Amino acid sequence: MMTFIPPRVRKPAIYALAGALFAAAWLVRGGNLWWVSIFALVGTTVGVVRMYMLGGEDTDEGARAGSRSDERQQLISLRSRALACNLTAIASFIGLTAAIAVNAIWWWPFLVTLLITGYGYLFGLGNYGVAEEGTPDNADPERQTRSPISS
Amino acid sequence: MRNRIREQRTQRGLSQAELAAALGVSRQTVISIESGRYLPSLPLAFTIARFFDLTVDKMFDPDDEEAGA
Repeated sequence: MMTFIPPRVRKPAIYALAGALFAAAWLVRGGNLWWVSIFALVGTTVGVVRMYMLGGEDTDEGARAGSRSDERQQLISLRSRALACNLTAIASFIGLTAAIAVNAIWWWPFLVTLLITGYGYLFGLGNYGVAEEGTPDNADPERQTRSPISS
Repeated sequence: MRNRIREQRTQRGLSQAELAAALGVSRQTVISIESGRYLPSLPLAFTIARFFDLTVDKMFDPDDEEAGA
């Protein structure tokens, strides 16, 4: 689906969608704080315009915002996301431990975050190659099927 | 890992931006590769070598340190 959207518009479009959903959530919630949705929409619009303009710049950040990253920029992005995930897992663990220690009722969001990062990591291992190791090419198939005690 | 990209590029009178456009990467990546801060992937290394009509081992040399190790 994303291939139909011009690269420079992809990230701003995702940002706009996320911002619109956030604003809609405040509006649906209603009550005295419905006006927060207006601030959310204004903030989102400013962010989308800034991201679109950044996407036109000849910098690493511009390439990322404009969805035209080359292999080095993708690697930087991947490492940054890995670091963010590690920090999230550490913070979740600290939060969970602290919540348990003070007998708080808000322990479960930390556990959910920790489980998502943990299972996400395991899913990544399975998805990106660990399951494709296979047998060594010099393995003798007869030796594997032959019983070690038969001669 | 040392490389001869800067030398080959200047010999041909190319700017970093022109080389980047020819290789399909960003100018920043050409700068990083030239300075040895980024090691390109094997496909990109082949693309670079072919662009300059050289082999990969002529284009990229291990450092003295690594060669002696």
